[in-house]
Amino acid sequence: MSSARGLVARDLRVAVENKEILKGIDLTVEPGKVHALMGPNGSGKSTLAFTLAGHPGYQVLGGSASLDGESLLELSPDKRAKAGLFLSFQYPAAIPGVSVANFIRTARQAVRPDDLTPAKFRKLVFEKLDTLDMDPAFLGRYVNDGFSGGEKKRLEMLQLAILAPKYAVLDETDSGLDVDALQSVGKSVNALRASDEGKEIGFLVITHYPRILRHIPADVVHVLIDGRIVKTGGPELAEEIERDGYDGVRDASASAAQAEAAAARV
Amino acid sequence: MSSGVGETLAALAFAPDGETLESAVALLASNPDAGGANDAALRREALARYAELPAPGMRPGRNWKHDYDKLRFEELVWTSDRRTVETVPFGAPAHDADPEADRPALATENAGGLVHLGATLLEPEDAARGSIAAGAGRRGVVVATLADSVRDRAQLLDGVKNAIVDWRADRFAALAAAFQNCGAFVYVPDGVQLDAPIQLIFASSAAQDEAVFPHVVVVLGANARATVLERHVGEGDPFVCGIVEAHVGEGAQLDYAVVQQASEAARIIFSRGARCERDAQVRWHLAELGGALARTVLDAHLDAPGARAETSALFFNTAMQHVDLASGADHAVGPTTSDTVVRSAATDRGQGRYVGNIVIRPKAHGSDASLRDDALILGTRAHVDSIPALEIAANDVKAFHGATVGSLDEEALFYAGSRGIARAQALRLITLGFFEPVVARFPSEALRDEIRTALDRKIDDATEIDG
Repeated sequence: MSSARGLVARDLRVAVENKEILKGIDLTVEPGKVHALMGPNGSGKSTLAFTLAGHPGYQVLGGSASLDGESLLELSPDKRAKAGLFLSFQYPAAIPGVSVANFIRTARQAVRPDDLTPAKFRKLVFEKLDTLDMDPAFLGRYVNDGFSGGEKKRLEMLQLAILAPKYAVLDETDSGLDVDALQSVGKSVNALRASDEGKEIGFLVITHYPRILRHIPADVVHVLIDGRIVKTGGPELAEEIERDGYDGVRDASASAAQAEAAAARV
Repeated sequence: MSSGVGETLAALAFAPDGETLESAVALLASNPDAGGANDAALRREALARYAELPAPGMRPGRNWKHDYDKLRFEELVWTSDRRTVETVPFGAPAHDADPEADRPALATENAGGLVHLGATLLEPEDAARGSIAAGAGRRGVVVATLADSVRDRAQLLDGVKNAIVDWRADRFAALAAAFQNCGAFVYVPDGVQLDAPIQLIFASSAAQDEAVFPHVVVVLGANARATVLERHVGEGDPFVCGIVEAHVGEGAQLDYAVVQQASEAARIIFSRGARCERDAQVRWHLAELGGALARTVLDAHLDAPGARAETSALFFNTAMQHVDLASGADHAVGPTTSDTVVRSAATDRGQGRYVGNIVIRPKAHGSDASLRDDALILGTRAHVDSIPALEIAANDVKAFHGATVGSLDEEALFYAGSRGIARAQALRLITLGFFEPVVARFPSEALRDEIRTALDRKIDDATEIDG
């Protein structure tokens, strides 16, 4: 296993219900960098997110995934989180009867046992609530139970800020958000990245639309189509997609594949 | 010091038959001081009904007949309301339990209470505080044995005792009426509002062989307010079969909480009913945590406009526990309101049944009834039946019911896992959260925490929790 730092996937192939969705993903998210993973619906973006986090419904066919050299694939979801991985869910599950305060306290305690006094933890929570324009009354509500789409995403960002992982995968965090909520999300992520505990976090921002990248600027943009990363570039790639859609990239990659196949036949 | 007044009566070998009943009646007649709250004629009629009525074990759902058929009475004896001559610290039943074990703590904030060990009333160390706090007593509040109250305050019981729970319609209520041998009376006069709860404790000891047939009567006058906390604790394998009747006067509010933490071999069967006058409110809270076999009927009779019932109940069956729960909200007139929330879980060989009845009678126009019942199955051999039944005979009413039976939400477990929370801990968190809508309605934070702790301990004790 490589000891290089980074959230790394190597030739990662994944099936869901025996259908191969990811057909060999190679990706390295370095500490402190923002990588965007863009692609049309059904391309396998969320599959990558769930596979990295260890969802039992995703079957790894081959390849590897590691976090700062530690192999992830053998670990249970909670051990991946303890290793420093955080997944912000597109559709976070509700946990009725469990208050947000209790949940985030339990999570912080699991990931970083006893590193903060209760008073300091409380101070941290209130700071982060403020950054996210969240009412402290949120803490007394049950986790995601009856939350609006925007409230769910804010709660994901609150947990991201409080857990301060090594690597964060944000799965479609922009979906279903209005402009104000999107701005709050951007502000929160940027405040975290500007802080001492957050400046080394590597981000994998999974999105269909480029608009979130205006709030969280990406260093590297990957385009995922049909289970493969077909193109990698700088921020300008996101602009290209905004202008031409995925069809332009798809056509280019299809003709490249055809050329490759033709070359192989020769 | 002790103020024990009763003679210890001879004990009869108990059997639910006429011979035993006649011996019991003769015993009561021979010592009027010991007192039986029910008269001989009523006892005989009740026993006849017991013999006629079927056990509540038939369908719907899993057949419970076996549970009730296998109830054994051979080892039991019957005695009447005896009083012990020993003094005990109030709230600490004098039995041989581990001194470190949880005690039902009756602290000074109680407005009053009674402690029974089996069918025997324990005299509190501080009689004035034990039976009734001085301040509450001055305001006319009564907390006394039912037998004393029948003798001394019969007019207060008139139209309430044996008038709310229909023992003619339920086999075990009939048995309780026939052999009633202890009980309590709580009376809160018009306009008196008690902040502190009145606690009624029923304890058992490992050596106990008394069959216990309690009868609790609660009367709240107009605009009165009170909380009654009924607890079941102890050891051994007691058989307890009782009746609780509550009359809630106009504009009054009664919180009646039951925390059943009887021993794991206990058989404990209760019929409880409340009748609400105009604008009165009853709030039933029930936590069935202990016992091998527990059956509860929890009824609310909404007899006048503006009456409201809130019924919250939970059970969590582990090991071999069987809990059979039936709630009823009877909207006799309109507009009246009922709101029922039930949460149940089972694992190991736990078996449960919940039957939720809502009746909206023809005159109950404008009534609003809601019934929400969710069951969580945590083990492959556990089982819970959930049977809501709505009978609506009035127009212009709102009635809602929803029921689910399911297992733990894997997506929620994964979500918690992704935040670093290990599966066992996530499971505990989610399971405790499942009960929270019922726990949150219990009338004090201390009680809520106590129930949460008890549920948490049940999770520890369960062998199969991640099916």
